[in-house]
Amino acid sequence: MTDAVAMTNERNQIFRDLFSGKTPKRVPISNPATQDFAIQYAGLDLAECQWNLTKLEPVYDKFCQDFYTDTYPGGSIRIPSHYQILGSTPIVMSSSGFMQHPEVVGLLAEEYDEFIASPYDCIIEKVLPRLFTEMNGAPGKVAMALAKAMRAHSDDMASLGTIRAKMNAKYGYATMMGALTEAPFDFLADFLRSFKGISGDVRRYPDKVLAACEAVLPLMIKKGTLPNPAMLGYTFIPLHMAPYLRDKDFATLYWPTFKKLVETMVSMGQNVQLFVENDWMRYLDYLYELPENTILRFEYGDAKLVKEKLGKKHIISGFYPITLLQTGTKQQCVDKAKELMDILAPGGKYWFQTDKSVINFESKGPVAENMRAVLEYVHENGAY
Amino acid sequence: MLGGEGKMDSKYYATWEEYLAEHPELDGKPAQAIAPKIQKYEDAMFVFIMDLLL
Repeated sequence: MTDAVAMTNERNQIFRDLFSGKTPKRVPISNPATQDFAIQYAGLDLAECQWNLTKLEPVYDKFCQDFYTDTYPGGSIRIPSHYQILGSTPIVMSSSGFMQHPEVVGLLAEEYDEFIASPYDCIIEKVLPRLFTEMNGAPGKVAMALAKAMRAHSDDMASLGTIRAKMNAKYGYATMMGALTEAPFDFLADFLRSFKGISGDVRRYPDKVLAACEAVLPLMIKKGTLPNPAMLGYTFIPLHMAPYLRDKDFATLYWPTFKKLVETMVSMGQNVQLFVENDWMRYLDYLYELPENTILRFEYGDAKLVKEKLGKKHIISGFYPITLLQTGTKQQCVDKAKELMDILAPGGKYWFQTDKSVINFESKGPVAENMRAVLEYVHENGAY
Repeated sequence: MLGGEGKMDSKYYATWEEYLAEHPELDGKPAQAIAPKIQKYEDAMFVFIMDLLL
């Protein structure tokens, strides 16, 4: 057995233990930096590399060599080619090469009933033509654009998958599968009604918002289902809108379908990782109701309170403030990691991740060195 | 329909059984080989479409 295979086996066992509620051998660690960071760290052009993925293998090799992690680092769900081919307006590349999401409205308020009657049909017939210029027009034009986009996306995913397999084989990362979905309310908000639109809808048409969340729930479940639920991995669900809702709107409009989504994933034998964005401290009692060993990666909030209220039932992650990597000294960054480990690691059920992803690299800035120091500290001091 | 067990009920997505009902030319053909392939691309398109909105 090679060293890399042995490391993969060890890391897989650490995550199996973590996800099943056992105390693992040590605190598992994920590098918080994205593919964008890795490209810049390698000194290459961000836009060019995302269009020419053949340049990425040495990028990832250096990234993996220089920063400790137990899971494959980087990754990206937004590669530009298929968005460009489809004439995307909700996801566009900025002048600096970052893929960005402007506020868009894919579904008009007067189309709620149509969406509720058949969400997927409405997405195909109304939402996509509104948001993607090449999906609006003659059937032949739309068919050709869709075929080209699917092929481009498939090629890009194959390229990235090949690199991932090579890095896993070389560096011995845990071999985890992932699926992505959203809470029904967030799906309705993000690309369909927009932040502004949904914020008005909860007051003007709460019944339609609820009905739309219920109608789209089967799609969200299907989207979050892994090819084989027994695989080592999880369904990732980033949470967006709850902190912006009144308590009663959260209770009636957001929570019921979101809870059902998580419960259904878990009942199929899948792990669920929630990215608990912004501050959910007023919703901790709700989060406690979720199935045991739900993975909760927090952005902001009181880590001690979370450990106290949720730490015996759920797996806690996040909280490490990446802004400190930019503003702090190396010692301050390491001290923060120690502080969070002292709070969150006892008893297990802790995965070291940061409060958000690191996407930007400045060659003369401190982020890379501070991040390297933090990851090494957690690795060297995380044994149970 | 809070439950998620309900089918998608869309004219743009078909289960294998629904597809087979619309394609009688497949009667007597090796369904064990055809079904997973047809379903795979049905699901791949679903995932692609949904990823555009995530």
